[in-house]
Amino acid sequence: MAKWGMVIDLEKCVGCQACTIACGMENSRLPGEHWQDVIFFQEGEYPNTEIKWFPRPCMHCENPSCVAVCPVRATYKAEDGQVLVDWNRCIGCKYCMIACPYGVRFYTEEKATYGGPNMKQVFKSEDAHSWNPPWKMPQEDWKHGVGVQPHDVVSKCTFCYHRVSKAPKGTADLDPQNPATREYTPACVVTCPTGARFFGDLSNPDSEVNKQIAYKNGVRLLDHLGNKPQVYYLTGEGGSVPATRSLKKI
Amino acid sequence: MATKSTEISSHVRSAANAWLVSCIIVGGISGAYMLYQLMTVGHAAFNTSSDGVNWGLPIATYVFFALTSSGLSMIASLAMVFGFKQFYPIVKRCIWLAIITLASGFAVLAFELGHPFRMLWAMPTGMQVVSPMFWMGVFYTIDLVLLIIKFYLIMQDDWHSNLSKFIGAASFVAVILASGMLGLLFGSVAMRPMWFGSFTSIYYMLTAALCGAAAIVVTTYMAFDFDSRNMPDELRTLAESDQLPKVFATLIGITLVMIVTRMWTGLWSNLDGLEGFHILIKSPLFWIEFLLGLVIPFWMLLQPSMQVRMRPQMIAAFLVLGGMFINRYEFIVSGQIVPMFKGTWVNSLEPYFPSTTEWAMAVFGLAVALGGYAIGEKLFHLSATPNNGTAGKLATSAA
Repeated sequence: MAKWGMVIDLEKCVGCQACTIACGMENSRLPGEHWQDVIFFQEGEYPNTEIKWFPRPCMHCENPSCVAVCPVRATYKAEDGQVLVDWNRCIGCKYCMIACPYGVRFYTEEKATYGGPNMKQVFKSEDAHSWNPPWKMPQEDWKHGVGVQPHDVVSKCTFCYHRVSKAPKGTADLDPQNPATREYTPACVVTCPTGARFFGDLSNPDSEVNKQIAYKNGVRLLDHLGNKPQVYYLTGEGGSVPATRSLKKI
Repeated sequence: MATKSTEISSHVRSAANAWLVSCIIVGGISGAYMLYQLMTVGHAAFNTSSDGVNWGLPIATYVFFALTSSGLSMIASLAMVFGFKQFYPIVKRCIWLAIITLASGFAVLAFELGHPFRMLWAMPTGMQVVSPMFWMGVFYTIDLVLLIIKFYLIMQDDWHSNLSKFIGAASFVAVILASGMLGLLFGSVAMRPMWFGSFTSIYYMLTAALCGAAAIVVTTYMAFDFDSRNMPDELRTLAESDQLPKVFATLIGITLVMIVTRMWTGLWSNLDGLEGFHILIKSPLFWIEFLLGLVIPFWMLLQPSMQVRMRPQMIAAFLVLGGMFINRYEFIVSGQIVPMFKGTWVNSLEPYFPSTTEWAMAVFGLAVALGGYAIGEKLFHLSATPNNGTAGKLATSAA
């Protein structure tokens, strides 16, 4: 059984947000509902300030608190290590959103998060879908939280389950540079112009993700909370992983 | 005997009629507005968001009603489980109120959830036993069933049979577990440090008892047109004694200690995520809750001259109920105002004010609770005791 994980090299990340856009297009996201986000934050006080950025997908934790709290098992850990939401079971209680330390979950029925027209009204759905975007992904799999979501459920990054789950068994690395694995690789990894993202099997000692974590001291976000993310960051000399969640202190 | 009961009953009925009509009007308007919004706009009519406060006023309202129900059940247990017979005159009213406040809480929660009916099959088939929300559902369902059985037995004038005693004891255990589990629902999440810890469970249990005590004082007087002279003898004896006010004052005192210690640790600690305490202490809402809703009633109920008088008891109870509603709201909202990692375009602390739809849900819940209470007063002779079971039946038939 694979344990899919991601490594993000913060020394290579230029904060271009191509990953955010690719994710939105791949997964038919509403504007503002970024399953994959790049957070910008400021460190230090004027005049000694520095702008930093931090790409943040769902961490697909080894020990996910969102799974433990869900009263109906709508959110669950898939065989290959992804944390997914079954839209056929979700009751929309939002407890998983409360319990996720990374703030990566979204409730469908909300006011538009961006200014401008409300896309749910502009592309109104005539069926059970919450909206009907013109750039819909061809895949639809509500059991795994893939596609345009229905009303009143929680959604989140699936590690592009619809792509990754089709990879041949035993694959150690899903490398966008390799034509044999490119189509199974998550959209954010494929699109990253600087090659800052790696995706592979954390349970395979020979995978590139494991090598990167070992050689470059991969660290995890808010590790002290015990969720054990399957997304690792390489900080090197240039990058840093925020130690606090609020980023700005009062 | 029958004549006096009939007189009492007429007072009760006139008060209950007025309340019922008011509740139908208020509940009808707020419920219609809420339903219209939910049908046309959906949950986007709420001011909650994925970036900030996920649980808002409707959840606070649910918690307020669920815990008030638990508290009423605890107060009923004083006589039914622990043998303090002087509290018999309020037992039946407590149990009825516990049923309808729990029903109000469930009603508000159902409208807040995305798919409430899905819960009916998804919870039993999921059996997610590590989720506090799962156990909260289980224990509150058991609690509701036991309350209904308990009320039915009392209606049959069965106060002392083995079955009645067993149901009373089981109900007390269920209500402790239910309110404690509601606390654990918040207390289990380490990533929300303003809620985290087993303290939350104890806090919910004890403040539930406080809300129950306040609710029974308010409704007992309300049932008799705010005039103890209209009360049956046994109830008037209880109302004019210092027994219930002493229980009430003790519970306020315990609550005050818990609030002060919680604020102290929250303000003192540097733990990331506790910033909400600094906002809380600057909020006028907190001081209204603390001073007006708890300190003043505490002081009033400690005065021997005030303890036994109706008006101070009433005022104290109203203030405590208002204060505890604020308490539920600020507890739930302040636990979420430090955002969960959303980046620079999100405020350091999330602003939140309930939308009109959310307010309508709270008003609707209150109207359901008070309307249910009025129906109980009209139909069930809520002041019945083991000693006047026959009178109770006579009064009911006269009504």
